[in-house]
Amino acid sequence: MISLHAVRKLYNEGRPSEVTALGGIDLEIARDALTVFRGPSGSGKTTLLSVISCMARPSSGRVFVDGRNVSGLPESFLTQERRRTFGFVFQRFNLIRGLTVLENVLLPAAPLGRAPRDDAERATARLEALGLGPKAHVLVEQLSGGEAQRTAIARALINDPPVLIADEPTANLDTELAMRFLDIVAGLRAEGRTVVMTSHDPRIWQAALVDRVVALRDGRLDEEQP
Amino acid sequence: MTPWVRRQQALADYTLAAMARRRVKNIGLLLIYALVIFVIASATLFSTALRHEAEIVLAEAPELIVQNLVMGRHDMISAEIIEELEAIRGVGGVTGRLWGYFYDRVNGANYTLMVPLDPKMVPPAGQALFGEALPRTRGLGWDTAPLFLSRYPGDLFRLDPAGRLSHESALVSADLILLGEEDFRAFFDLPPAVYTDIAVSIRNSREIDTIVAKAGKLLPNARLVTRDEISRTYQKLFYWREGIMVAMAGASVLAFAIFAAEKASGLSAEETREIGILKAIGWDTRDVIAMKLWEGGLISLGAFLFGTGLAYLHVFAFDAALFASVLKGWSVIYPDFRLTPMIDGVQLTALFFLTVLPYTAATIVPIWRAATADPDQVMR
Amino acid sequence: MTRRSPLVFGLIGAGCALLALEAMHSKLMTPAGAARMARSAELVRRAGLTDLALFTEARFARNPALADLHTAFQDSPLSFEHFPSGTFAPRPAAGFGQGTLRFGTEEDAR
Ligand SMILES: Nc1ncnc2c1ncn2[C@@H]1O[C@H](COP(=O)(O)OP(=O)(O)OP(=O)(O)O)[C@@H](O)[C@H]1O
Ligand SMILES: [Mg+2]
Repeated sequence: MISLHAVRKLYNEGRPSEVTALGGIDLEIARDALTVFRGPSGSGKTTLLSVISCMARPSSGRVFVDGRNVSGLPESFLTQERRRTFGFVFQRFNLIRGLTVLENVLLPAAPLGRAPRDDAERATARLEALGLGPKAHVLVEQLSGGEAQRTAIARALINDPPVLIADEPTANLDTELAMRFLDIVAGLRAEGRTVVMTSHDPRIWQAALVDRVVALRDGRLDEEQP
Repeated sequence: MTPWVRRQQALADYTLAAMARRRVKNIGLLLIYALVIFVIASATLFSTALRHEAEIVLAEAPELIVQNLVMGRHDMISAEIIEELEAIRGVGGVTGRLWGYFYDRVNGANYTLMVPLDPKMVPPAGQALFGEALPRTRGLGWDTAPLFLSRYPGDLFRLDPAGRLSHESALVSADLILLGEEDFRAFFDLPPAVYTDIAVSIRNSREIDTIVAKAGKLLPNARLVTRDEISRTYQKLFYWREGIMVAMAGASVLAFAIFAAEKASGLSAEETREIGILKAIGWDTRDVIAMKLWEGGLISLGAFLFGTGLAYLHVFAFDAALFASVLKGWSVIYPDFRLTPMIDGVQLTALFFLTVLPYTAATIVPIWRAATADPDQVMR
Repeated sequence: MTRRSPLVFGLIGAGCALLALEAMHSKLMTPAGAARMARSAELVRRAGLTDLALFTEARFARNPALADLHTAFQDSPLSFEHFPSGTFAPRPAAGFGQGTLRFGTEEDAR
């Protein structure tokens, strides 16, 4: 599905403050699998996610999505790729304040020019499935952490992407909600989606559902870890 | 509906939803902006209509006026000059004009007394034709009421009405008193055989320049004023007054543009973040810009339509009540006239581009950087 | 997304319609206006007028086009022959004219 070859990512390249966030990564991410990146803070998990998902371009190396080399594509093509392939759940959810749950969920669909009624129906169905039906017209700033996360999941899925990217999805949740999240992910797997996420939470990467755990340390794959 | 239309509508909906969060601020902004445009559009519409009317009406003024100058100031002109002018080839009719001002102590107004050029229009002795404002400001209640003018304490000069000049020509005739030559000379104590100035009609308008040159050689001390110069003076005068209004309002447009640029360039951290989020969830740079175009476009287009629409009503339905005096001046005698509506498409288009474009640009330009930045910033 | 655009587009459309109506109105009024102006122009021709009756106070004002050659600074508030039409200030509310046609007290005594 996605493969990385010798991917490096430097921040502030050429300046004294240069940081090597990713130091040469070779990685293959399987279709229909649940892959989890683990590693200490600052090890490059988020950076790796953003390179995989066409959010950021690698400083060197190549990234293939479905066999297409995306590392050299200009901005607008990257956006196309991102739209078509990925849905995002961010570490801090990134909902837009002042809009309702439903409005937030519909945001990724806005520039696509599809029939608004179909989108609204799909969004409502997804919200129902996630137990957010009654909250559809509530402003997002009035949501609890778990509700906000489920809203973010519904938003990530509105364009029906084959891959869901989630950065530290359970960092702000208690055990019960974390398990609930895993249930949702199980449902997505059943729908045939690929899920890639990061976590430093053992509850997640020890879960039976996880197909593969990739350990990172200082921007490199940590071979010693399982 | 095509996807393109749906996309635009969805982007507009998002913009509106985002603007609705600061409803009061945005509506206030729209209203202030509309007010600025209203002022400019009113000035433009009013002045255009007035210029047009002045041009049409003064096109019938005498082709050439010859005035006598003494020490650089106007003086009475001798009737002998008339014959000298008639001798110039190409000259049609030459007539001495008699006109003068009279300050009425009763109401503080200044009338123009005049002997009409057309003999058929001259009223009989002791009678006069009154302009529209005269009976109004002197309170002459009924049509036959005589007008008494007092030139000095103890003096009374009686003029009976021979009729009233039509209301519809008030713009040129409001302060007129048209009377016969004998009455005029008696009233102003003028010697015979002198005139205020001389009106020369020229049959072929292409010959005006040559005739002016010949008359200038013939009468080196005279002042020659052509009809074109008169008309141009008025065009300039109204342009000048309109210009002052527009300059004042233009300053507010500038202030407004600065405000808009300031507002947009000082993109709040929240707005920058929102743009980042939109990009991260799959919006393109073009989508973000189109969305912001809708914001700037809707506000400025709304203000333009609202402002100009009201300006038209203000100028032509309510006689520019709010600032007519700035555009046409204040007077004791003021003609009561209604302008014929007129829209100058070119001017409105210019106004459109001068108001809508800067504001929209001011909202777009600062967005550019935020919209082209890599979206991975919002991941942390 | 709450559909606010139909309402707003409706308002914009109403604004456009207002402008269009006004443009039509001005077109409809043109013939009548032209006829009226033609009658005014006729008066100008017959009486031999040269100026508009807009600024009537000053010697230069009623006939700005025929003002004296050297009447300088006509629009300056400091000019000797200064009248309200030249400025942006309205005329004083009181003190313009006596209000009636009457004789001074000395004359009454005589
Ligand atoms: N925009 C940036 N500019 C400079 N350095 C950056 C930037 N973003 C990330 N870094 C650096 O890159 C390294 C990897 O960061 P990254 O966010 O990928 O870590 P992480 O594994 O996600 O950490 P955490 O578990 O705390 O989220 C860190 O050292 C970080 O300081
Ligand atoms: Mg991280």
